[in-house]
Amino acid sequence: MYRTAAKRLLAGGGFTTTRILRYPKLRSTIIPSSYTSGLCTSSMGGGNTESPMGNQSVNPNQSGPTAGTGEGQRRHESRKPRAEFQEEQARVLSASLRHVPRLGWTEEAMMAGSRDVGVSPSIVGSFSRKEAALVEFFMDECLQLLMDRIDSGLDLQNLIPSERIAKLIRIRLEMQVPYMSKWPQALSIQAHPLNVPTSFKQRAMLVDEIWHAVGDGASDLDWYVKRTILGGVYSTTEIYMLTDNSLEHRDTWTFLNDRVKDAFDLKKSIQEAKYFAEDIGAGVGKSVQGLMNGVMQTMSRRSGGSAF
Amino acid sequence: MALRSVSRRLGSRILNHRSFVASLHSHATSFGFQEVKEEEKSKLVGNVFTNVASSYDIMNDVMSGGLHRLWKERLVGKLSPFAGMKHLDVAGGTGDVAFRIYDAVYSVKRRALQKVDEASLEETQIYVCDINPNMLNVGKQRAAERGLRDNKSLVWVEGDAEALSFDDNSMDGYTIAFGIRNVTHIEKALAEAYRVLKRGGRFLCLELSHVEIPIFKNLYDLYSFQVIPNLGELIAGDRESYQYLVESVRRFPPQERFASMIADAGFEKVEYENLVGGVVAIHSAIKL
Repeated sequence: MYRTAAKRLLAGGGFTTTRILRYPKLRSTIIPSSYTSGLCTSSMGGGNTESPMGNQSVNPNQSGPTAGTGEGQRRHESRKPRAEFQEEQARVLSASLRHVPRLGWTEEAMMAGSRDVGVSPSIVGSFSRKEAALVEFFMDECLQLLMDRIDSGLDLQNLIPSERIAKLIRIRLEMQVPYMSKWPQALSIQAHPLNVPTSFKQRAMLVDEIWHAVGDGASDLDWYVKRTILGGVYSTTEIYMLTDNSLEHRDTWTFLNDRVKDAFDLKKSIQEAKYFAEDIGAGVGKSVQGLMNGVMQTMSRRSGGSAF
Repeated sequence: MALRSVSRRLGSRILNHRSFVASLHSHATSFGFQEVKEEEKSKLVGNVFTNVASSYDIMNDVMSGGLHRLWKERLVGKLSPFAGMKHLDVAGGTGDVAFRIYDAVYSVKRRALQKVDEASLEETQIYVCDINPNMLNVGKQRAAERGLRDNKSLVWVEGDAEALSFDDNSMDGYTIAFGIRNVTHIEKALAEAYRVLKRGGRFLCLELSHVEIPIFKNLYDLYSFQVIPNLGELIAGDRESYQYLVESVRRFPPQERFASMIADAGFEKVEYENLVGGVVAIHSAIKL
């Protein structure tokens, strides 16, 4: 659901006025989790990502290039399954991720990926904003994986909200560990003006997803503030992780916990300041008695009510 | 430059079928605005290009005001050539597109930026296919001028777009610039293109096309029918060939119709981009 919205916006809000009319039968591009299972969490050696999809578009007449199927080519169309371009692109990008740690987020990685899938590297020339397509694909995959992890029963009930947030961010950032050596390049690709709309949208969806999982349902102005702050925490941790060489990124997680705590403390401070201002406002124009009553009320409210 | 793309897929378009079969027949038997027999069209077109071969490049520059260079640059940019690719440029007689692809692959700057290994560079093959030997000779001459006479990567082949001599699934890219208008049976050329391309290979067609913008259309028609044949007479000494040229542009199917023909040949992700308001259109597609 998120991804089709993103892709629609991506197609419509591009730099030029190129319009692409979609076929009526365009299906959602969310890739089933079984297909992506070995992708982000393990190292680059997860080689079975295309096998669930492989049997969908295997071409029986591909093994014999000189099989003389010239005149019969047109008739074959009805028999062999039509591989849609979107599927093919997803397969190529997925296979390319394996080459990213070595070749970077570049066309070379995508051409190597296309060779793995058995498709001519020319197809890379037709991806819009080539390297960005690869990075965005990866971001989508990680978001999908995160959603799957949450759905499949992550234990969040016993944790306080700040710990829940820290845990979710940690899970998400750990997906990037295999690509850490080339992650600065991915960040710079995402920061390119042409790609900013999409990368911003993807990060917004990620932050939204994390807040949903934490259990937040607020829809007032607070919504923007919460997401902005979480976005800030996520980004700073991500950047900190780039230069963290400690064992299992321990320093990063410490940094993350501190930042989350800061954010919650900030929230508390703002709330206290608000109440204090209310009290002052209440006190002005009333007697000292009224002021004292107001302060007592506030103190009992603060100690008795929930902190979040 | 207004950009517009439409994607079509192989699906049932039976409603359009009859009308475009009719227009296909008319393309096969039309030589400009004249009606000719199918068998003769190929010969007549051959004569045209034999006549214009020597002044082809100069006339291109004059008629388009040098814009044809930009159009071809855009075509090659869209193709994104890579080292080791096998590319076929059909009706590419004088080699404009082929030279640009060669430069794109071998450019020093590109090789410095990307990790290109020399072995794959060696494997690059650019085939230039043209039905007319005079055009090919002009192309070979230009190659010699650039010092590419004996270069293994550029191969000049005489052949017919409707019956290519290349193997199935052997090409990474197929381009045809200002050539598909001249073939007798467009669908045969498209079918051949589909045949020789590998899976994932791209089809790109640069062609003069139809202008719909109201006032601009009138200006364009005026320019086409009043100015170009006169230029042909003046510079190339051949009015009839250039009259054929402008008439054949009008008889060629419009952008949408041509896009559906490409889709019918089996291609996926068929798109087109109008340049200069539709004077020129680049159709692109992928074989999957």
